[in-house]
Amino acid sequence: MFGEDDIVKSHKLRADLIGHIMVICFLGIVARLWFLQVFHGERFLEYSTKNRLRKEIQKAPRGMIYSRNNQVMVYNTPRFDAVITPQFLKNKKETIKKLSVILEMTEKQIAKRLKKYLGQPKYVPVIIKKNLSNRELAIIETENNKLPGVTVNTFISREYSDKEIGSHLVGYISEISQSQLPKYKKRDRFNYKLGDFIGQSGIEQKYDLKLRGEDGHVFVEVDARGRMKRYIGNESLFGGTINNKQSKPGNNIKLTIDRDMQIAAYKALEGKVGSAVAVDVHTGEILTMVSRPSFDPSQFSRGLSSEYWNSLVQNENNPMWDRTVQEHYAPGSTFKTITAIAALEEGVITSDKELSCGPSFRLGKRNYHDWKRGGHGMTDVYKSLRRSVDVYYYKLATLMDIDTISEYAKRLGFGKKTGIELSRERPGLIPTKEWKKKRFGIPWQKGETLSCAIGQSFVLATPLQLALAYAAIANGGKVYKPILLKEIFTNEGEVIQKADTELISNANISDKTLKTIRKALSQVAYDPKGTAWWYKGFGTRMAGKTGTAQVRSMNKKELFSKCEEMPMKSRHHGVFVGFAPSHDPKIAVASVVEHGCHGSSAAVPVVRDVMIAYMKKYYPQDFKRYEKEDRAFYKKWIAARYKKKEEVKTNAEAGQTSTENKETE
Amino acid sequence: MNFTRLLEIFKRYDITFFGISTAIFLMGLANLYSATNASSSSHMAGLYKVQLAWYGISLVVGVIVSFIRPKNFFRYSYLFYAFNIFLLIMVLILGHKGMGAQRWILLGPIRFQPSELSKIALILVLARWFTKSNPDREMGFKELLVPGLLAFIPTILIVLEPDLGTGLLHLLVFFIMCFYRKLRWKTIGVIAILGIISGGFMYQFGLKEYQRKRVVTFLNPGSDARGSGYNAIQSKIAIGSGQFWGKGFRKSSQASLNYLPENHTDFVFSIFNEEHGFFGSLLIISLYVILLYRFIHLATSMTRIFDSIVVMGIMSLFFWHTFINMGMVMGLMPIVGLPLPLMSYGGSSLLTFSICNGMATSISNSRNLF
Repeated sequence: MFGEDDIVKSHKLRADLIGHIMVICFLGIVARLWFLQVFHGERFLEYSTKNRLRKEIQKAPRGMIYSRNNQVMVYNTPRFDAVITPQFLKNKKETIKKLSVILEMTEKQIAKRLKKYLGQPKYVPVIIKKNLSNRELAIIETENNKLPGVTVNTFISREYSDKEIGSHLVGYISEISQSQLPKYKKRDRFNYKLGDFIGQSGIEQKYDLKLRGEDGHVFVEVDARGRMKRYIGNESLFGGTINNKQSKPGNNIKLTIDRDMQIAAYKALEGKVGSAVAVDVHTGEILTMVSRPSFDPSQFSRGLSSEYWNSLVQNENNPMWDRTVQEHYAPGSTFKTITAIAALEEGVITSDKELSCGPSFRLGKRNYHDWKRGGHGMTDVYKSLRRSVDVYYYKLATLMDIDTISEYAKRLGFGKKTGIELSRERPGLIPTKEWKKKRFGIPWQKGETLSCAIGQSFVLATPLQLALAYAAIANGGKVYKPILLKEIFTNEGEVIQKADTELISNANISDKTLKTIRKALSQVAYDPKGTAWWYKGFGTRMAGKTGTAQVRSMNKKELFSKCEEMPMKSRHHGVFVGFAPSHDPKIAVASVVEHGCHGSSAAVPVVRDVMIAYMKKYYPQDFKRYEKEDRAFYKKWIAARYKKKEEVKTNAEAGQTSTENKETE
Repeated sequence: MNFTRLLEIFKRYDITFFGISTAIFLMGLANLYSATNASSSSHMAGLYKVQLAWYGISLVVGVIVSFIRPKNFFRYSYLFYAFNIFLLIMVLILGHKGMGAQRWILLGPIRFQPSELSKIALILVLARWFTKSNPDREMGFKELLVPGLLAFIPTILIVLEPDLGTGLLHLLVFFIMCFYRKLRWKTIGVIAILGIISGGFMYQFGLKEYQRKRVVTFLNPGSDARGSGYNAIQSKIAIGSGQFWGKGFRKSSQASLNYLPENHTDFVFSIFNEEHGFFGSLLIISLYVILLYRFIHLATSMTRIFDSIVVMGIMSLFFWHTFINMGMVMGLMPIVGLPLPLMSYGGSSLLTFSICNGMATSISNSRNLF
């Protein structure tokens, strides 16, 4: 193109200018290099060979965890580790030899530990022995001069006040693993490093980011042997400023948990395999959450010993398992309450309608047996729950569709996760026709409705779901989201997060029905014919429902044989779920005792002890009054019963004493 | 095409740019070998082989580019620019899904960084615009409007990734190109004053202390906000301790003790200085300066204004990368994380500079070949 040539030429001036500026810039670079390398070179060389600047991480103390009454549940305590910084290690063999004597380790063990971290930069300290005793600590500190490269790291260890009690819920922390590191870095965008401790389960895991705080660092000048010469403050060094950073402590957490109730539940579960959950019926706050067998979380944060780990792994009852939410069971007769609600609401039956209940119920070719050999005779809804009459519910089941019963169960929160802040929660299972068709490809059988109506067959629920459903029955039908966290507050006491009660749904069950059910449930414990009468204790005014979950299906002979004589693995699970006090419910408590045989003898005492602990602590006046009244009533009843027995005895001279028949379902 | 024609091409092929670049690259490769093999961490020992392989690929791509005629750069510049904007938006969308800073697009096994391509796209699109809008007159504010927008769009998209360093680089390249395309001195003055005042005002009064820090860390998580002082000091110690003649090949103590982070990417020049001293760096800097001068010379000897501006854009890209990286490792500038052309480890960067060389070679050859 004509003329373009001239246009380019007209830009020559600017091009030259750019060239000049460029040269000036690079002359600046060269001048700077001269300044650093020739003018100050000696100084930098000396610094690089003799002294080293080291960045030392200061771990942020992890936040503490408190109970609802501000008692400390989880705290931190200092501990000391012996470490070797390979960079400063001189006379490797000799130092290791000396160290092995002090630490009572073999030289091989120490060399092995060092080898494990060979891939890391040499200035990263390697932990040789954790949890130094005071003696070891003193020797290393005094022998410091003879042990170049060996130092003591002060560390903050996590301690759990109640050890095994409620450890599933609180969780544990341990060192982040190589495989976790990239995953966590990506997910939380947090500067995790190897050697960091992170929450691995429970509250520690869920609120790890809130609890962990921010690590700080200080710069120290060390000599060629790795010994610290001095701290370097926020000062300038070779023209650059060094910024030390203070560590920022993690936030503290206050849980809804009551420690005394935890202890009561833990003690009540002594020697058993099972769990207990208590919730506040008006807020969904969880007061108690205990599962046994359990583990000691302190062991994890100290560095797990292989013996302890083996003892956990080899325990067939799996102590790491949180049985309150990570395990679901057939709810057994505790589910009858839901069937009764469905029947009353659907108008299938009225509260005063009596049905004749024999020893068994025949559907098609199969006989469905009652737990009581002789049957119960005429039964209304109160008696059906009080005595846990199976045949009554078989009859209701024939009058209703499984989907109807399931609908009510789902409204009360069964069949889906409750949304609690703990991981690996199980959803339980509430079967429907559609579900079965999908799952097994065969249509629903009428007989299965019968089994489901008494909480067997497909029906599965976690103890937490049971407690929440009964809480809804107690509070007028409101299903709350379970809450564990009350508030998160900073070290200065400023509350940064507060949990609010969250209504998941309203079950939409009429007050009339709920009133009937509550009355019937209170008879379970407070009517002498009720299934929980013998174990209810005094002073709680509890209402509830016992249940026995069959572990496997049984024939008639097995069904009526004594549970305690069966092998452990085939014994029934004992279930009890209830609320207290029955006239003005405050808390709902559920307990499942695996292979406990009966809901009444195994699970009722657990619930009772938790309720007593609650009443004693929060309503001591009422508790005293109820206890007195309960005892008086019991005495009177026993006396009357004794008198009656005496009469029977005198009437039948031969004296075939009917043994005490502890009525159990 | 007969044999004599081929010989002709071969004879007249301008090898200046690839030649000087390869010389710098080879010195960089030796330095990279030293930096990664002195340290105890063995997982980086093979990096120099990867770097060599990348340079091989880059060279092939660069030579192919050198056979594209400059008029095709002109013809497809808008299309290329639009495609590049599309890629940058894709990175943002995909990046949001993956969480965290995302600068990559995965093409099968190869990770691809569109912000590198964006530099070339910007140079081409600006050159084309400047060529079309009265290239004989000086530029004022009015003429700056469209090119400003063209530069601003990719810059914002890259800053959002977030990659503050590369974003700023776009603006700097844009500035040099405007300067070359005769931006009025008065306009430059006004922009400079406005920039200083508004920037200073924002920084001083608009933000609180902790917000300032947060903004910087948010925009550029790669910057070591916590220990930038530490890195700068270690880098200075490394450079200074090299003295006049250097400690010698593979004798760097700062690298071997891993005191210097990123010593194979952003801080390669520190290691080079520690091992080869003032004398060695003078050599390297001379090579860079010669390369840059060749670009300027080429730009002024062109007959077409488009070609001239493209070459000046390429020169500015090389210049800023080199100057900022060197300035940052010796404590003259904040640490922004830009690689040193041809010396830092990284395939994307090698490829970009090789393509730039290819374009310059093509433009140079066009004077006497076609």
